[in-house]
Amino acid sequence: MAPAQPPAHAPVPAQPPAPARPFAAYDEPDEDRFLARGLARVTGEAVAPYQTAVVRIGFALTWLFFLLREFPHRHELYGPDGPWSWRLAERLIDTNHAFTVLMWSDSAAWFEFVYLLAIAASLAVILGWRTRTATVIYMVGVLGLQNRSVFMGDGGDNVIHLMAMYVVLTRCAEVWSLDARRRRRAARAGSGSGGRSVKGASADVTGVVLWSVFGAVMLLATVGGSLSIGWGLFFWALWAAQAAWWLVNRYLPGSEARAVCDMVANLAHNATLLVIVVEVCLIYSTAGWYKIQGSRWQDGTAVYYPMNLDYFSPWPGLSSFLAGSGLLILLATYGTVMVQVAFPFTLFNRRVKNALLAAMIAEHLSIAVLLGLPFFSMAMIAADAVFLPTVALVWLGARFDGGRRRVLARVRPGRAQGAYGGGGHGPGSGSGGSGGGPDDGGDGGGSSPVPQQRSGDGLSVR
Amino acid sequence: MEPEEQQAPQAEPRPEPPPEGAGGSGFAGLSRAGRAVVAISAALAVLAVAVHLSMVFLHVAPSNTLSKQHGEGIDDYVYPEFEQNWKLFAPNPLQQNIAVQARARVAKDDGSTETTGWVDLSRMDGEAIDHSVAPSHVQQNELRRGWEFYRGAHDEKGKPVGLRGELSETYVKRIVMLRFGRELNGGTVERIQVRSATTPVKPPPWSDEKSDAKTEYQTQPWWQVGSADLPGGWDQ
Repeated sequence: MAPAQPPAHAPVPAQPPAPARPFAAYDEPDEDRFLARGLARVTGEAVAPYQTAVVRIGFALTWLFFLLREFPHRHELYGPDGPWSWRLAERLIDTNHAFTVLMWSDSAAWFEFVYLLAIAASLAVILGWRTRTATVIYMVGVLGLQNRSVFMGDGGDNVIHLMAMYVVLTRCAEVWSLDARRRRRAARAGSGSGGRSVKGASADVTGVVLWSVFGAVMLLATVGGSLSIGWGLFFWALWAAQAAWWLVNRYLPGSEARAVCDMVANLAHNATLLVIVVEVCLIYSTAGWYKIQGSRWQDGTAVYYPMNLDYFSPWPGLSSFLAGSGLLILLATYGTVMVQVAFPFTLFNRRVKNALLAAMIAEHLSIAVLLGLPFFSMAMIAADAVFLPTVALVWLGARFDGGRRRVLARVRPGRAQGAYGGGGHGPGSGSGGSGGGPDDGGDGGGSSPVPQQRSGDGLSVR
Repeated sequence: MEPEEQQAPQAEPRPEPPPEGAGGSGFAGLSRAGRAVVAISAALAVLAVAVHLSMVFLHVAPSNTLSKQHGEGIDDYVYPEFEQNWKLFAPNPLQQNIAVQARARVAKDDGSTETTGWVDLSRMDGEAIDHSVAPSHVQQNELRRGWEFYRGAHDEKGKPVGLRGELSETYVKRIVMLRFGRELNGGTVERIQVRSATTPVKPPPWSDEKSDAKTEYQTQPWWQVGSADLPGGWDQ
């Protein structure tokens, strides 16, 4: 699992030269051309780079905060000597075959190592450092801890669990990542030295080392019988894909093989992103549609009840104040159901979608406080973020970047530039400048904090 | 504005499509073999997405014609890693406070035994949660979900069902002992008893529903406590 993501700016020269009519053989029936165009689209670029990045960062942040919050309680929750002890977990996992590296050993040292590794992986995913590898370790950490003690989790853990697996297959570090910055710099260095850009990528020692280490770990796990066939195949496939990507970038840059690898990666990204989008819709649909059938959601009192549950009322004064108003409770009850049921259908209309998105994020913020479920709420907001408009995300990114630069300027005068820029991705290698983020080259300083809108995209927060 | 393309959620940051044909890059510019590889991958991706989404859909949908016929296949696919439940507070929110309480029989040094009063462990959780910005899973989930697990793994008469019944009993016993400790009220804990106290939430003040907030108790049998049920001795 070594060299990270594709150098997005690497040109893919025409090789072999395109025939004048590439699809001459398919000219006749219209649906074939339709199919070819569809294929070109889903393989040509990794869609929604900003949305994918914000999902990546959002979930990793949620998990990081959670791990830090629970650090004092980690032994009781997941440790070998928690009430759900290692042997109890072993007996249950023997029947359900959940994947957790914590069952590889019952030693306290192994547990501490896994917990710290989970923290480190979350950090790496947030920063977008070696994201292809980091997301895999992040997933191993999430599954390792959660599957070890299933009865400690709640809905928030459930969303994190699913997304940690999905995000592995996405190109989630095209923007807002150290990987993207490294690619940008490599591309600049390549084009700066005049005509040498055809030369392959650098050896990438860090990547090779990471890849070798994980190869060794997986070899041990496989030989030791610690990996099920399914998970084994999955990890080895990822590992092989990393090797293939490194090889084509180093030895066959600009070749057709590299282009094909790039397209397959785009394909995996786009397919997984579709799964993420539908997953979020399923969450809201099931939450909403089942509520419609409930008498309390019908008579407009449902929201009153959770506020009176001892386990979900951290602010009794606030809860009893809200629970005192029948009208407020009715509005919140009906509003919740309407938004949840309606949301998936509003995806076909940008304005309504954005309005409901704002409503849902607001609702999750209030759940965080009122029901004392901050990690659940944060995870749900991270999931919602996949639907945020690009312009809003780019704007947020520029704000964040500006703030970061101001802080850096104060802390380390003279070095206040160039870390983590908002733009500079190129979804769809080979698409020339058209894919560059609006903030591309923002490292140069003095760029407007408000990104200009990409012409023709028609994206706006309305 | 082209509604269809621009409003699809995953289509937001769409730069212009690669210049197909012109530069020879992109799908159309590939050789026959390259196109075949990409096309096969695409077919596999479509298949994988279709299978995955169908399975997850049937898992979260109400029991229906298809899921009744293929329940086992769906479960095999979904469990354990894709399991999900978004019916929190649906169809109705929980309308009762379920508190787990426990008491102990302790042996004193002088040879006498004493039964302690009931200790409301859930109330202690609730007090820990009060005014907490980020309640810990230890307070919010451990006992609450542990008890759900226990109830779900026991039949109406309180008999444990299968492996889960046995595991859940050990688990609840340990959660209680973690909070009691070996020594209680100046004696050594020999046996413990657990009960649930279910109190309906009072109907809202503006409602004309009758308020019948009587607490119902469900008491479990006394459990012997051995060294294996004490913190530190669990897996020995």
